[in-house]
Order: sequence, then C-alpha cells, then structure tokens
Amino acid sequence: MILTEESIQKIKEKAARYPHRKSAILPALTVAYRQVGHLNDEIYREIGRVINIPPVEIAEAATFYTMFPKKPVGKYLLQVCHNLSCALVGADSMITYLEDKLGIKKGETTDDGLFTLISVECLGSCATAPMIQINHDFHENLTREKLDKLLEELRAKA
Amino acid sequence: MSFYSPVITNASEATSNEKLHLFKYVEDPQQHKSEIFESHGGYTAWRKVLGGMSTQQVIDEVKNSGLRGRGGAGFPTGMKWGFVPKNSPKPTYLCCNADESEPGTCKDRVLMERDPHGVIEGMAIAAYAIGCHIMFIYIRGEFNHCIERMEEAAREARERGHLGENIYGSGYDLEMIVHSGGGAYICGEETALLNSLEGERGMSRIRPPIPAIEGLYASPTIVNNVESLAAVPHIINRGADWYKALGTEKSTGTKLFSLSGHVKRPGNFEVELGFSLEKLIYDPEYGGGILDDKKLKGVIPGGASTPFLTPEMINVGLDYESLTTVGSMLGSGAVMVFHEGTCIVWIIKKLIHFFRHESCGKCTPCREGTGWLENMINRIEAGQGQPGDIEKIEEVCGNILGRTICPLGDAAVMPIQSAIKNWREEWQYHIDHGKCQVETDFSFR
Amino acid sequence: MAQETNEKAAATPVTMVTLTIDGQSVTVPKGKTVLEAARSVGIDIPTFCHHPKLKSVGSCRICYVEIEKMPKLQVSCATEAMDGMVVSTNSDQVKQGRRAVIEFILLNHPLDCPTCDKGGECDLQNLTFAHGTDDSRNDFQKTRFREDDMSTTFDDKSIGPEIVLNRNRCILCYKCVRSNKDAFGEYDLGVYERGNIAQIDSAPGEQVDNPFSGNLVEICPVGALTNRDWRYKIRVWLTETTPSVDNFQSSGSNITFSKERQKNKIYRVTSRPNDDIDDGWLPDITRYGYQIVNSPDRLKKPLIKKGGTQVEVSWDEALDTIAKRLANIKDSKGSVCIGGLAAPSLDNRSLYGFSKFFRKVLHSNNVDYRSDCRMLPSSSDTICSRLAMQPFSISDLDDSDVIVVFGSDLIREHHNEYLRMRKAFNFNGARLFSITPYAVKAADIAELEVVHRPGKEEFVLQAVCQAAVEDRLVDDQTAGRFREQVGNVDLTELCRSAGISTDSVKQIARALASGKKISFVVGEIVTRSREREPIAAAICNLNKLFGLHDKGQVAILARYANSKGAQKLGVVPVPHKMLVDKMNVLWSETPSCEAHNTDAMLALLKKEEIDSLFVLGANPMMVYPDLQFAREGLERADFLVACDLFETETTQLADVVLPLCSWAEYDGDYVNLEGRNQTARAAIKPIGESRTGFDIMAALAARFEASDLFEVDAIESEISQMLAIADTPALPQEYTQVRASEDKEKDGFDIPLYLCDDPHHSGHLTEKSPSLAEFSGEAYAEISFDLANRLKLRNGESVRVESPVGKIIIPVKISEILNTDVVLLPRNFSSTPTTALMMRKRRVDMVKLSKVDD
Ligand SMILES: Cc1cc2nc3c(=O)[nH]c(=O)nc-3n(C[C@H](O)[C@H](O)[C@H](O)COP(=O)(O)O)c2cc1C
Ligand code: SF4
Ligand code: FES
Repeated sequence: MILTEESIQKIKEKAARYPHRKSAILPALTVAYRQVGHLNDEIYREIGRVINIPPVEIAEAATFYTMFPKKPVGKYLLQVCHNLSCALVGADSMITYLEDKLGIKKGETTDDGLFTLISVECLGSCATAPMIQINHDFHENLTREKLDKLLEELRAKA
Repeated sequence: MSFYSPVITNASEATSNEKLHLFKYVEDPQQHKSEIFESHGGYTAWRKVLGGMSTQQVIDEVKNSGLRGRGGAGFPTGMKWGFVPKNSPKPTYLCCNADESEPGTCKDRVLMERDPHGVIEGMAIAAYAIGCHIMFIYIRGEFNHCIERMEEAAREARERGHLGENIYGSGYDLEMIVHSGGGAYICGEETALLNSLEGERGMSRIRPPIPAIEGLYASPTIVNNVESLAAVPHIINRGADWYKALGTEKSTGTKLFSLSGHVKRPGNFEVELGFSLEKLIYDPEYGGGILDDKKLKGVIPGGASTPFLTPEMINVGLDYESLTTVGSMLGSGAVMVFHEGTCIVWIIKKLIHFFRHESCGKCTPCREGTGWLENMINRIEAGQGQPGDIEKIEEVCGNILGRTICPLGDAAVMPIQSAIKNWREEWQYHIDHGKCQVETDFSFR
Repeated sequence: MAQETNEKAAATPVTMVTLTIDGQSVTVPKGKTVLEAARSVGIDIPTFCHHPKLKSVGSCRICYVEIEKMPKLQVSCATEAMDGMVVSTNSDQVKQGRRAVIEFILLNHPLDCPTCDKGGECDLQNLTFAHGTDDSRNDFQKTRFREDDMSTTFDDKSIGPEIVLNRNRCILCYKCVRSNKDAFGEYDLGVYERGNIAQIDSAPGEQVDNPFSGNLVEICPVGALTNRDWRYKIRVWLTETTPSVDNFQSSGSNITFSKERQKNKIYRVTSRPNDDIDDGWLPDITRYGYQIVNSPDRLKKPLIKKGGTQVEVSWDEALDTIAKRLANIKDSKGSVCIGGLAAPSLDNRSLYGFSKFFRKVLHSNNVDYRSDCRMLPSSSDTICSRLAMQPFSISDLDDSDVIVVFGSDLIREHHNEYLRMRKAFNFNGARLFSITPYAVKAADIAELEVVHRPGKEEFVLQAVCQAAVEDRLVDDQTAGRFREQVGNVDLTELCRSAGISTDSVKQIARALASGKKISFVVGEIVTRSREREPIAAAICNLNKLFGLHDKGQVAILARYANSKGAQKLGVVPVPHKMLVDKMNVLWSETPSCEAHNTDAMLALLKKEEIDSLFVLGANPMMVYPDLQFAREGLERADFLVACDLFETETTQLADVVLPLCSWAEYDGDYVNLEGRNQTARAAIKPIGESRTGFDIMAALAARFEASDLFEVDAIESEISQMLAIADTPALPQEYTQVRASEDKEKDGFDIPLYLCDDPHHSGHLTEKSPSLAEFSGEAYAEISFDLANRLKLRNGESVRVESPVGKIIIPVKISEILNTDVVLLPRNFSSTPTTALMMRKRRVDMVKLSKVDD
C-alpha cells in the first residue's frame, strides 16, 4: 500500500460529501498527490479500491490533468509560469537563470534530489509576474535577488 | 512568501468610494474572517433574502440590475437563472466557476483570498434563487491558498449559521462543497467543468442540452463566475437601480480588470464598466504608463483569447459593447499590455502553445489544428518560416473557427487572426528575413 | 397506482417533425437527429465518431451539414431534427468543412495502409477517397507513439489476448472506450492524457479481455485496434462473405463469415447488425467461436471400436454396423431399450430427423435434448415447461422500465440479453433488480441486488407476493384471492429463511406494482434446479398477482442455439399435447410405449434396462450434473453411438463414433429463444468426411428401408408445420401453494457449489477455439475475497474442492463480485471434470474447500 491510513481516511471523508461517488476522483487524487508527491498506476488502483470506482476511471482523469506529476520529482518542484504575462516580464530568462544556477535543464531534477524544474501554463499571477510555484505555494513579483534568497532558504530547510 | 497579489483599487477621486463594492474591503487583512466581514455589513443581503424574498424576486432583482456574467461571455446573470426549470423533479445545483486560468486573468483569486465570505454570500443567494441545496465552488487546483481560504470560510459560515440546515430559521438548507481542479484551463469552460466535477475527464459537452436544463449529474445547473456571484449581495443590498446606475447602459456595474505586462503598476482594479482603457493603462492611479516609458505596441483587452488592440484603438471604453465595436471583446477583463520591443510572432507563439497544451482533445479541429498551428508558428518564430505559411495559418484558423464543440477553438485562433491582420508586415518580415524586426529581450531583473 | 399506469401509457403519442434535406422532404419522429433523418431516406452523411447504439458526442466533426439560418456548420449526429429545418449535406461549405476535418485527421496519421489490416474496409481510407484532397499540406514530423514491445512491428502494442493497439493510427473517435463502458459496462480500456497526445490503452495493469472485447476491433473506424484472429492473414478484398447465425448462444446473433475464395477456410466472423436481436454487438464467444470449424482436432472419419480401440472405418461400415445393432436390439429387447440424446445446438432438420427416426423408425420415445439437466420431471406438461413456452422478445427489454433478472448470471448465459439490459438502464433509465443465490456482474447497475440463501428461490418470490398483499400494492380483490388460495404466510419468517431483508422484497414489490412495462426473465439457476416446478409455480403466482404478462413479459430464457427449436419440434420424451397431435397428423402415428428422459435413460442404462444410447452432438459426460451417474450409465450401454465434431468424454466410450459437420458447413435453420426461425448458410464445404445430423439420420433410415420418411422437401414442410403451431400453453388459472423441498443431508459440507460458464467458454466445443481458450485459460474456482482470506488463498493458488462423491484440485480466482460463501465452478473444461463433485438428487450441491499445501 502506498496510501497511508490517514490519506485513505481523508479520501473517504471527501467522497462521502458528494452526491455521487465518482466526483471524489479529483479530491482523492489531490490527497494522494499531497502525500506521495506524484501519481502512478498503483495509486490509481488503490484509490479505485477506496472509493469503489474502476481504476481506469481514476487513471483517465488523472492523466487528463497536468498538475500532478506522474513520475517522482525532487523535494521541491519548481514550476515557473512561462505564459505571456510572465514572459513579458522575464519568465523565460528566469528559467534560463534557474537552469544555470541549478545545473539542470527544464524537466530535470538536481543530483541531490532537491529541485525539479519545469515550466507551466498561466497560474493566475499575471499582475504579480514573474512568479514560480514551489510545491504548493506561489512566490510572486520575483527578482534575481528574491529568487536567490528563496532557493537558499529552501536548501537550508531541506 | 507572497501569497497576496498587491491589490490596487481605485479608491481615490476617479470613482467615489460609494460606488465601489467588490474591492471595498479587500485591503483589510482581516476581511476573510466572518466576524469582520459581518461587521462590514456582510451576510445582510443573505438575511434579507431568506427573511422574505421569493426566488422570483431575487431573480428579478438581478435581472433588473443588468448584471452580466464576468466569466467571459457576458451573459445576463438573472436571465440565466431564469432558465432553470421550476419544480424540477431532480435537484438543482450551483457551481461557482473559480477555475480562473485564462492567461492574464487573476481577479477571482483576489476575491477568494481576501473576501471569501463575499463569494459565499453571493453563491448562497444564487443557490436560493434556483432552489439549490448543495452548491459547489470549483477552484483551480493550483490556487492552494484560495482553496484553503474558501474551505475555512465555508466552515466558518456553517458554524455561524450562514450555511447548513434551517438557515436563520428560514427552513432553507444549504451545503457548500469546495472542489479543487487538477490543472486544466478547459475546466473553466462550463460543461468541461461539470464533467470534471463529476469525476470525468474535463472535456466539454455538446449543447444542447444547456447546463441550466441538464448539467451536473444530469440535473439543472447554473455555472457562474466568482465575480458575477460576488456582485449579487451588493445588488440585493442596494437594489438593482443603484447597480444599474453604475457603468454604461448595457454594461452595468463595476468590473475587475487584471492589468499585466509592460505597465509600471500592474494589478487588479475595480472600475465602472465603460472606464477608459487608455486611462487604465496610463493614469498614475492605475497602470501608470508603459514600462521603461517605451511606446505601446498593442493590448489584449480581455484575456488571451480576445483579439488585439493597436495603440490607435485604445481610446475605448472598457465595456461589452465598446470593445465589440473595435473588433475585440471584454472577455474576463484581463488587460495585457506590450510595448514596441515585443515581437508579435513571439506573443502568438506563447499563446498558441498555451491553447495547444490546453485543448481537451475531444474534437478534431481543435485537437489537431492547434498542434499544426503551433508547429507553423514556432517555425516562423525560429526563423524558418516559408513563403505561404501566413496564408496557410489563416486557412487553418478558418477551419477551426466556429467548427469546434466549445469556444476553446475560437479562443485559440482569434488572437492569431487578429495578430496577422494588425501586424501582417511583421509576420512577412519574419519569414523573409528569418528573424524579427524588433529585438525582443525581456530579461529577468 | 394501476390507474396512473394506464394514463401514462396512453399519453405518449409520437410527434413527427418534417424537414427538408437536400431538397427532399423527410418526416421522422421527434427526437431523431438530422443524421438519422438523412439516413432514413438514404442520404448518406459520413461519420467517424457516431455509432447508432451509443450516445452522440459530436467530436470527430466529419458529419457537418449546413442548416438554413445557422451561420456555422452543424454536426448532424448531434443536432436534433426540427420541424421546418432546411438542411444541405453537400453544399460547398459542407464539402470544405469535411475536407478540412480529413486534413486534420491525416495530419498525424501514419498513412501505413499497405501494412494495415483495416485496409479495404477502413472508414478513414474510404472517406479520404470520397471527401479528402490528394495532397498533404503538412510538412512537419508526425507525432509518433513508440512502443517498447519488441515482439511486434510498426509500433503495435498488445493490450489483450486478442487485441493489438496501434496508437498512431487512432483518430480518437473514442468509440471503443465509449462502447466498452456504456454498452458493455466494462472497464478494461481507457483514454489517457489529453489534447493531441490523448491516447487509448488498457486499464492500468490490466488486459482488455472482457467478453465483448472483439466488438472494439470491429467498430474501430481505422486500424488502431486489430485482432490477432485476423491480422496479417488475408486482405479483406480477397474474401467472400456468407450470412449466418451464431451457434453458441440462444439469441442467435446475426453474423457474417468471411472466407477466402479458394480455400475451404473461414477467416473471421463479424456482425450483421440486427436491431431485433443483437444491436450489432457480438460476444467474443460468437466472434471467435468459429475457430473450432477449422480446428485440426476435428473428427474426419467414422470410428468403430475394434478390440478395445477405435479405428477409422468407412461410412458404410459404420452405418451398417449401427443399423444392424439397433435393429437387433429393437427386435430382441424392444424399441424401448434404445435411447437418444441430441444437442440443442443442432439445426431444425437434424433435430427433427433425430426425433422422427426414433419415433417413427425405431418406435422409441426415448429422446431428449436436455443432457445438462438432472432430476427432470417425467411429464413434459409441467408448469415449468409451460412457462418456458411463453413468448419473449429481446428488443422488448429496451423499453422495459422495470427488469427483474431471476436466477441468472446473465453475462455467463445470455450475452445479448445482458447488453440489452444495460442499454435499457443506460439509455432509458430502466430500473433493474437482480435476484440470485450469489452476487452477479449484471447487478452493478441494479437498483437492488437480492442475494438469497441458496436453494430458497421460491421463498423470495412468495415474500414479494406477500409484501404486495400486505402493503396493498394490488387491489383488494386480487389480494383476497391470493390470501384465500395461498393462505397468509408470515413475511418476516419467509424473508428470514431466505436470508433477505423485508425491505428489499417490499422494494421489488413496489417496482413490480408501479412498472409500466416489465420484463421478468428467468435463467438457468432455476431451470437446472431440482425444484424447478415449485419455483415455476411461485413465478406464476407472482405473474398473476402483479399482472406481469399484461405489462410485459415473463420468460424462462432458453439457453442454447436451438433449444427453442428442440422444444418446438418435440425432442423430448413426452412433448406437449399440441405437438403430439401434430405429429400424429404428420406421421399418422406416434409410438405409445413408455417415454424416458435423460435422467431416466441414464438410470435405466445403469440397470441394463436400456441397452443402447445414440448421442447426436451432445456430451453428457461433460455436462450432466453428476458425472458418476452419467458414467455408470454410459459405461454399461451395450451399444453406444456418439456423433460429434471432436473426440469427447462421451465419444471415448462409444462403440461407433460419427464425425459431425459444424453449423458453418451446411444450410441450417435455428429457432432462437424468441421463437424466431433463422437460417445459417453454409460458408464452407464439410470438413473431412463429416456429415450433418440429418444426413446421418436419413442414412440410417435408409438402412431401415424408411427413406421415404426422410425426403427433404417433405421434412421441410413438416418442420414448418410444427413450428407454426401456436404453442403458448395457458399458465395456471389459480394461485398455487408452493411447497418445495430442501436437501436433508447436512454432512459437514458447508459451501454451496454452482456450476456456471466462463463467459468466453460456455460449451464443450469452445475449448477448441484457440482464441477463446486464450481468454478463458484453465479451469478455476471462483470464490469471494472474504472466503479466500479465511482460507489464506491468493489468486491462482490451488484449492481442494471436496464433495461427498468427489474431489478436485483447482486454482482459485478471487472474484470482485461474489460476496457470500459460495464456489462457482465452470463446466466444460475437459481437464477438470467439475461435474464429478455433483450429486444428482441434490437441490444445491455442497462442498468443502481447503488450501492445498505443497
Ligand atoms: C475555454 C474556456 C475557458 C473558460 N474559463 C473560465 C474561467 O476560468 N472562469 C470563468 O468564470 N469562466 C470561464 N469560462 C466561461 C464559462 O464557460 C462560463 O461561461 C462562465 O463561467 C459563466 O459564468 P458567468 O455567466 O458568471 O460569466 C471559460 C470559457 C471557455 C470557453
Ligand atoms: S482506437 Fe479506434 S475506436 Fe478507439 S478511439 Fe481510436 S480510432 Fe476510435
Ligand atoms: S459523426 Fe458527428 S461529429 Fe463525429
């Protein structure tokens, strides 16, 4: 079992609130993602068992959405918005900056397993661009200075 | 960590404080607490409704106010509510659309983070009007903070008797479910949202039936944008006439605009509909002018899917009708500004990448067409454009426009068509010279 | 409540709408789509994602039409036809729209037609020729899905025992996934990712091996899904087709055989959609079952046992031998000493010839087609047999608002009816109820599944009646009559002993009382029960109380391809009087001697009171639910003749074995469970020296100098007269007091055993189809998760199943469906004779399970 008893309990609680069981798929995926950091077939099967829905339905939904990584990622998932509003104020060069700084290319994970760098579509921080989502938190109005500090803090925390 | 977007409201001379409602208290760091919200007059509209307004009265009030949907299409809100069949044997549902994923748009997020009870109150009144007892808010999954805020607020509202059973002793029951998405722009489209909420893949559905007749779980369902719903309590409190007096004749009330891109003061602004776009960009109280004092090249006035405006066109009122006259749309009110140093092909490359990435893949023209367009546009941008590419792009756009299940296909091609129309020589130059006319360098500072 | 029913039933007149399509006026019922309207007058509109039996999704966009007053092109498959619409299906705009769609679809299509097995019958290929352009404007690298599977070429990927997927060819019409879920209720295939990298694949960690999986291949409009059965064997344009009828199921799905022109070999079976029967869906057993025809194991010559071994002989020698021995027995011991068993999958002519040979030539009444039933009543005019002769219509399931499945695991017995029931649920919102002694698959969509204690069928029915009377769901007069004739039974007590809740019977009673059109279908768990009579009586009570017959249908479903034919042609010892009367007319006489059914024949063989048994296509050694009993009978036969396609447990014991033709080798008529007589045409010539059942009977008759009785034309006319008999016998006029008995012995065997079929292998022949064998694998014992846990058994581990008379060791399969202590064993696996555990006189067989430690 990958899912912990706590996650299973959470999923069951959420599922109980909906008029139809199937609606619990996304909430369940979110709980699993929060716990594991990514999703995979085994997790779909486990969720299927918990909410009594064929695993294929879970997998179909999960793979439709891009927010959940489908493979293990680093401790910190750096998600840089590369959409227009952010790009107009330097998102692309921020990605290059991070690539150089971390020594990885977009889509890769640092050797120490700390950081995975990806670019994502608009995250609704257009007026506070450029921005980066690290795991579940937004960091906005970024500058080189702020970003450097942020990475340092994360390293220190790890 | 900066959870909060710096919210800039126009609480100064431009509009008198009296007229502001959505953003009136968003600067108050305590506003998300029910107690504070109530001290600011929160939940009085809800009490008023349950205190004796009939559902028809509520619908009529909203109808009369002229409120139009703020999610992009501008459909009259009261009229939409009126489509729900009376005495339906099935339950009815309300879904608040908080998927906010249209590039450039970041306004609903402010309401949810800063004034969640305002959203709940609006939802509750709408729910009552359509006879719904379980209402949903579908928040895009990345908006963690909003999700937590809304969940907390819903819990608080229930504790304080604003939601739950027999609210205010009226006999009316209402529960609220906060549902989070998984990262898909298409789930902002209402039928895709319903599919997603049902646990299906977030793919759009063919219409008819419209959701008001057969939506969530095949039951009558109303989908409304966060901002549309947040306006409702104010209409109930102050009356349709008050609301109607704001804005223009056909575009009543105030609207939130998300200003981003090459402006000095990006942010979210609440202004009356009909407010000047030029002023929004240049007025020091608002955008404060173009970054680095460069020349303006163009504006996207209503989010990534609306056609461009050139500098000559920006002397226009920000309302549904005026923007249509200049060939664009109000959309979600996301104003994206770019200066002279911006390559138009590069902008389109960014946008088409987005739409290709977000196409649900259900219908052929959108699924295949966006991919083809992206390939062609990338090629031009990379300096490998071929003669005839522009015409081919135009033709492919024509084969997508109006031929898809949901408006995502249209959204993907309208900016392209408009970019070619307005800056054709620039496209041609790109192809002929294998590079751009302008030096594009948006470095990260 | 009854009043409301009538009002509603009356108040649904069909509104018609009239529109103009390409200048032609078209009138269709309201609710039809523009596409359906156009097709109804022969105007064809191309489609990819549309399927007549699935809900429209309007996704491929090839079916564009132009409609006046609508500026945009509309998809005809999802646009309702409205009064006054003016539609064009071939305007310039429409043509341009179609061209654009085809261009889009071909953008990332590999165009590998020369290596694709769909070539020649590919919708994309055909529509590209008809509506596309000649050149490609795409100069980019196509998206390509690469498969790691090195065993196949061309990026193919195996996703099931039969199915191979090529994701590059897929045009994302989603028909496969939609039919799998919506029509079949199966969840082993899905669509993953989104946008232009969306792709079809099997469910995580699963194989696409559901009992309907072959349909996915057939409805795929391109070569994205192909099956091993057909791949790389032959091109479609080299084949010719023959219309035929399925021989593995009682509904008689309409099929098409494809064969190569020169070779005497069938290459595949595809559907020949008949909305009254199959809706165009074929179960795999029908699609792949044909492989038995060309099996290398087919018997090709007659065999005669000489000195203990069976040796090949000529037909003349074999027939002479049989005729001589039978004549001998007839003359020395009397014709009553000869018995015959025929298979209910044989055609009318063979069955009728069989019966006529026995009755008219041998003067014996010992004929039966029910070799899989034990403890048959000696009389044929029983309540159960009368109930079995009531009319039934498959398509009536479609619009039934209440469907009750009683004593049947439909997916194992009646694939078509199973699908119909799902259709009624999915498309018309029918309410489903399932009443069985163990949980069944079909119940996943049931409003209520009642799993009662094994062997308590009649209690459940009684309880439903009682609930209706108590809750005043029927009018007082009806209730009064019921009370009067049946007495007041205690509802709580009934439910308690049946192991069900009173609420559940009340719910069913309410549904039966309020349903407007009800289908009450009864399956094998009842017909194979020793107590079939009392149960049938209870069904008749229910029928009468709720007036079910007037509001729909109550039917015992016939099980095999021609069970109904056998019934109607009187291939039982004592046919219904109506039939005997007719035989007397046709033959001027019928024998008056004693008549014995399967049970009696086996018993008398054992007692040596019957000397000879003639078996035509049946395999009692495999299917009779008490192997011991069957073996003792057959082994004692002085003279055993067995005709079959293959060597079987029964032919092994025979003195003479005759090779039978399969149904694909001759023209034959079969009566499906609805009473519909259908013709299966010969697709190929008989294999080896095999002959039809009728030819064998006629050849034997000739040796008795009775050729004149077997003239084909006369026989045909006799058969049609027999089939024309309106044989719906009346059901009891009064309520019956139901008194069924239970097994007395309680000897420490505590798990009920039920024989059932693997959905891919439901007859002794199907084992010879390599595809079906691949699906069904080896025999297994199905038990619940809970029981497996208690026995500490994991999937695939061996379990010892013991009964008072036998013991087998068999792997377990942990069922996702079963939820009580019961073991299901499949019949028809020759490696594992599960009937060896059964005792003929039992109502419910009981066994012990234990883990095999090794
Ligand atoms: C591709 C697409 C994306 C959309 N995204 C959103 C969204 O993020 N938020 C929103 O409120 N409406 C969105 N809409 C509009 C909704 O479909 C719907 O019209 C709206 O939620 C109705 O609410 P309103 O009447 O209050 O505007 C989107 C529409 C399309 C076609
Ligand atoms: S595999 Fe065939 S049936 Fe399935 S979606 Fe692709 S093209 Fe359609
Ligand atoms: S057949 Fe109509 S959209 Fe596919």
